[in-house]
Amino acid sequence: MTGTFNKRLAIVWLVLTLMTLAYIWLDHSADDDGVYRASTVVTVAAILIALVKVRIIFREFMEVRHAPALLRRLTDAWVALMAVCLLGSYFIGSALAG
Amino acid sequence: MTNLQESTEQAERKPARFVPGQPDMWVFVLFESLLFTGYFSVYLIGRIQNRDLYLHAQADLDLRFGIFNTIALLLSSWAIARCVQASREGAYRDALRDAFLTIGFGVAFLVSKVIEWTKEIRLGNTFTSNEFFQHFFFLTSIHLLHLLIGFIVMGVAVYQLWSPARRSQQLVETCATYWHTVDFLWVLIFALLYVVR
Repeated sequence: MTGTFNKRLAIVWLVLTLMTLAYIWLDHSADDDGVYRASTVVTVAAILIALVKVRIIFREFMEVRHAPALLRRLTDAWVALMAVCLLGSYFIGSALAG
Repeated sequence: MTNLQESTEQAERKPARFVPGQPDMWVFVLFESLLFTGYFSVYLIGRIQNRDLYLHAQADLDLRFGIFNTIALLLSSWAIARCVQASREGAYRDALRDAFLTIGFGVAFLVSKVIEWTKEIRLGNTFTSNEFFQHFFFLTSIHLLHLLIGFIVMGVAVYQLWSPARRSQQLVETCATYWHTVDFLWVLIFALLYVVR
């Protein structure tokens, strides 16, 4: 029992770490010879990857996948709410700034 | 005696669905993430109003610190998740080891954060330098405050695991829930400060 659980936790950690390392590539993809450039694709990708990581931490590390439906739905709703707030601020802000 | 043993075993058996830790901690977790989300929105809107300044200032950050810190906290989260499972199965020696491992990775984060701050301040980037570094120092220090509280929380977990007289599984899970929150808030802060363009 402990064996399978611990293996699952190690895989979860590995997936989260690989997603973190993906940021290294993402970080330089929009730049021009070390000069930082604004990029909607990089911004949206960075936010979405972070939110997927948060959901994985909720479900796996925080054991929400074994929790009652209320907590599972609540945490999912929270991730969705964060997505709406972060992407919404970015896009509405961009529209206002022109 | 057999009946008593059976009922104890039944009680110890994990129910199919359970809330990890005290529900109050979950209320706190959801409240904190809402508070941080509000602040992230303010940061993102501020960023767009003054794009060039943010991009220019952001170029002074060293992504390597961000990556190292994220992996350190992910390792600490992994360790505390193991600790919860070990303690649930009565393997308290393993649980204690994992709790100390969690604290160790937390300390690695703390040290690296202080080195990064020192480096930025030496470069001339302080709280009052510009809007980007104001957000940077505010967010990272508020987060570090949560980490410091996390060390106290981990002290409670170690205290629970130490003596057979205590060992409340619910308290250990509550401590873990708090620690994971420190981790996932950092995951968001890292993406927003270092990578977003």
